Amino acid sequence: MTELDDIDGLAAEYVLGTLTREERVAVTERRIAERPLDRAIAAWERRLGPLVETVAPVAPSANLYNKIRAQIGLSQHVVSLKAREQKLARRAARWRNAFVGVSAIAASLVGILGYRENFERKDARQYVAVLDTGSNMTGFLLTLDTGTNMAVITAVNPPKQSNKTYQVWMVSDKMSGPKSLGMVDRPGEMKKMPMQSGPEMDLFMNASFAVSLEPLGGSPTGSPTGPVLFTGKLVQATP
Amino acid sequence: MPSRAQNLEVLLSGVANGDEAAFAELYQATASKLLGVALRILRSREIAEEVLQEAFFKVWERAGDYNSDIASPVTWMATIVRNRALDEARRRVNRPTGDESELENIESDDEHPIAGLERAEDVKRLLRCLDGLESEKKEIVRLAYLDGMSREALAKRFDRPEGTIKTWLHRSLAQLKGCLEQ
Repeated sequence: MTELDDIDGLAAEYVLGTLTREERVAVTERRIAERPLDRAIAAWERRLGPLVETVAPVAPSANLYNKIRAQIGLSQHVVSLKAREQKLARRAARWRNAFVGVSAIAASLVGILGYRENFERKDARQYVAVLDTGSNMTGFLLTLDTGTNMAVITAVNPPKQSNKTYQVWMVSDKMSGPKSLGMVDRPGEMKKMPMQSGPEMDLFMNASFAVSLEPLGGSPTGSPTGPVLFTGKLVQATP
Repeated sequence: MPSRAQNLEVLLSGVANGDEAAFAELYQATASKLLGVALRILRSREIAEEVLQEAFFKVWERAGDYNSDIASPVTWMATIVRNRALDEARRRVNRPTGDESELENIESDDEHPIAGLERAEDVKRLLRCLDGLESEKKEIVRLAYLDGMSREALAKRFDRPEGTIKTWLHRSLAQLKGCLEQ
C-alpha cells in the first residue's frame, strides 16, 4: 500500500482539516516559501474537493449579499480615494513649484524695493472633508481644527431616510477595520469629537471617511453593513 | 451546452475584471452550497454567514488568481470557505459540542436529493474510493472533511488515542490517494 511521506501527510491533514490551530498556522506560513508543500496541498484540495458536492445547500439570509456588496463598495471607495488623493498631491506639487517661481521673482522685487514684510508663518489649523457621493451630492462635512483639537461632523443635506440612520466611519490602513464615529441624521445636525493631538490626530488627518446607511441604532456588527453612500478625505482649508 | 463549471469559470473571469453583474450571478449560483459547507463546520448560522461574507470578499479581490488548471471554480471557492471556517472553528476552542439546534434544517444524511442525478465524474470516483475504506475509517474522513472535526474530537468520538486516529487518517488518505490515481 502507498505510504504518505511527511510533506504529503501534513498537506493531506491540512486539507482534511484535522490539524490543531497552531499546526494550521505553521502550515499556512510554511507553504508560502515551500513549493513542494504548497503543491501537495493543492493536489489534496483537488482530490478531496469533490466531497463538498455532497453537502446540502443552505440558503443564506436575504441581506448577506448586500453586506458583501457594502464591504466591496467601501474598499473600492478607499481605493478611488487613494487615487484621488494622489492626483491632488500631484496638483499641489505643481502649484508649489509654480509658487516657488513666482516668489523668487517677488523676492527679487522686494530686494529692489528694499521693502521687507514681517512675514510670520503659521501652521495650518483648519481642515475640511466634503463627504460626497462621488458625483455632485454633498451629504456631510467634516471639519478639524488643530488649534482647538476639535473635529465636527455636520449633516449638510443627506436624503431623508425612514427607518434607517446614517453612520459615519473612519477608515485607515493603519487600523484593522472601519471605526464608527457615530450617527448623524437631521440636516444641520452636528456632532463634536474632541481629540488629542499626536498619534490620534495624525491618524485622523490621514484617514478616509465614509457614511453608510444602517438600521436604526447603528450597525449591529460594528462594521458597515449597509451601502456606503458618501466618502471623503480631509484637505487643508486655510493656508 | 457549456457545463456548469465552464459557466462558473466565465463568471469568475468576469469578476476578475470587476464585473459586478458576474459577481452577483456567481453569488446566486454558489452561495447556498458554500454556506452549507461553512455551516457544517461551524454549526452557527451567524458565524457561518460571517465566514461566507469574508470568503466572497476574498473571491472578489482574488478572482484574478483563479487557475482552471488547478481546481474547478467550486473547489477553489469551497477551499477559501473551508480554510476560513476551519481557522475560525479552531480559534473557538470552546466550541459548543453536541448543540445541534441550529442544524435542524440540515439533512443529517450527506446526500443531497438531486445531487446524485447530475453528479460529475470526479465526485463519483471519490465516493467510489471512499467506499473502499472500512466503514469506520470512511466515517472519520467524512467527519473530518465535512464537519471539521479535529483529531482530538475524533479521538473522543471513537474512543481511541489521538495517535491511533492519526495513524488511521494517514493510512486512509494514502489508500484514497492510491485509489484515485488508478
